[in-house]
Amino acid sequence: MIRLEEVTKVYPDGTEAVRGVTLQVAKGEFCVLLGPSGCGKTTTLKMINRLIPLSSGRITVDGVDIYKVDPNDLRRGIGYAIQEIGLFPHMTVGENIATVPRLLRWPKERIRRRVEELLELVGLVPPEEFSKKYPAELSGGQRQRVGVARALGADPPILLMDEPFGAIDPITRERLQDEFLRIQAEIKKTIVFVTHDINEAVKLGDRIALMREGRLVQYATPAELLAHPKDGFVRDFVGADRTLKALRLLRVREVMEEKPPTVEASKPLAEARERLERLGVNFLPVVDREGRFLGWLNRTNLRPEGRVAEVMTPYSVLATPDTPLNEALSLMFESAVGNLAVVDGEGRLRGLLTFRRLHEVLRESYREEGQG
Amino acid sequence: MAEAWQFLLRRPDLLSGWTLQHLYIILVANGISLIIAVALGIWITGRGREKIADVVLYLSDIIMTIPSLAMFGFLMPLFAALGLKSYGFGVAVTALVLYGLLPVIRNTYTAIKEVDPAVVEAGRGMGMSELQILTRIKLPLATPVIMAGLRNAVVINIGIAAIAAMIGAGGLGVPIFRGLRNLRMDLIITGAVALTLLAWAADGLLGLLERWLTPEGLKRARKR
Repeated sequence: MIRLEEVTKVYPDGTEAVRGVTLQVAKGEFCVLLGPSGCGKTTTLKMINRLIPLSSGRITVDGVDIYKVDPNDLRRGIGYAIQEIGLFPHMTVGENIATVPRLLRWPKERIRRRVEELLELVGLVPPEEFSKKYPAELSGGQRQRVGVARALGADPPILLMDEPFGAIDPITRERLQDEFLRIQAEIKKTIVFVTHDINEAVKLGDRIALMREGRLVQYATPAELLAHPKDGFVRDFVGADRTLKALRLLRVREVMEEKPPTVEASKPLAEARERLERLGVNFLPVVDREGRFLGWLNRTNLRPEGRVAEVMTPYSVLATPDTPLNEALSLMFESAVGNLAVVDGEGRLRGLLTFRRLHEVLRESYREEGQG
Repeated sequence: MAEAWQFLLRRPDLLSGWTLQHLYIILVANGISLIIAVALGIWITGRGREKIADVVLYLSDIIMTIPSLAMFGFLMPLFAALGLKSYGFGVAVTALVLYGLLPVIRNTYTAIKEVDPAVVEAGRGMGMSELQILTRIKLPLATPVIMAGLRNAVVINIGIAAIAAMIGAGGLGVPIFRGLRNLRMDLIITGAVALTLLAWAADGLLGLLERWLTPEGLKRARKR
């Protein structure tokens, strides 16, 4: 756990970079320091591993004041990754990743195993091949992965990251973010992460600390920050489209209609027509005997004779209960019927996502905003 | 030319003696100079030493501009005043040590200053001590540039060392000056050719050494 108490940084020329920041990052939590350039977020980060000395206040890691330990020992126990990466150009990828384990004098064999494990983790496979390469021989995205792997070198419980995905193209950045979320789900580090990108903050953070001119303005979960911006600055910073941003925080499972009415593929069309009319709908999801989703029955395709299977429209797009709502929304536009079928891993129909439900969700979040 | 060849055939022992003398002076002078210059070059890159760095670089710049004959002219009376032998090996080596400083100090200083700050910050952020940052990051990255400075210094000094023969330091300047005094073309040519070949050989060998000491990762970066 990391605790900052009234942390302040005043430079000799009188500039107050950080003013009385107090915040706490729980074990295994992903905290994003967010704000415009010059807001003090990077300074705050670098005070945690003492790259920048504190002017006043106190920082503790697991209850221990960071000024009670040797700075090099402190840093060897905290992973550090920066935007410029700073890979050592004269060392191989393997040697770069082995930096902290070597400083800690791990045995050679353990280091070798750790390097391979980390290369696998960040998706640089085969590890034996990447381990021998030099930074100059890698692409920007690959270098950034090495940077993350190096920060994880000695398996530190804490990671400090300063815009680690800042200098890469947007597509690669999205992918690295996704991968990093997957890695974090696996390794559960306590992370302090600096960015100026609200989308990145919302996507990655468990909690967001929004800073302005050296002060902490709001420290909240992404959903809270989007729904209840504390003041005009926060509202402006998170952007006018914050309702849409909030969509990515919701999962389909939270808003889908569960156990929707269905029709079995083997049923006669006459029975299906009766069902459509009774429910007053134009579409019904078609399933097989095991409840697996097969496609849609459209009222306009009904014939007097035959079975459902003969006239149904096979599905083109699907969602899972874990699909973020923003992705589900764009899938719905692709779907032939406007509704989205939600299936589990076995292909069984779990629910339906309809525009009506989505509309309700959006209206709710607007109402919250009105109150906040 | 033919006369020089005949002289060579007659007295190969003399030529090899002068060459070895010459090499010895260079080795001692540039060896001492390298150690001083690298140490000084590293030291002046330290935080808060920008002013000192300016002074050191300026002084070694001035030393370079002193003509070699004038340098001996200054050093000989100085050595005499200090009660030391005022001619020969000691004075010659001292002059060459001074001449060898600038290229190496300048290159060491520049190369270390130019190491990517992000690389240094990454090292520091991972818990490397300042000494580890110097020996594991800065020096390996600066080595090719420092070596280029040494190569430069050696080639310059091979030329200046020939003049040191005038003050009795020996070396390949001996046959040249002797030939000039006695109008012996064979001696002049022998000395001149040997001196040139020595400079070329030193340049080539140090070039190889420079390449050999360049970290593999930097070579691959350059290829891109």
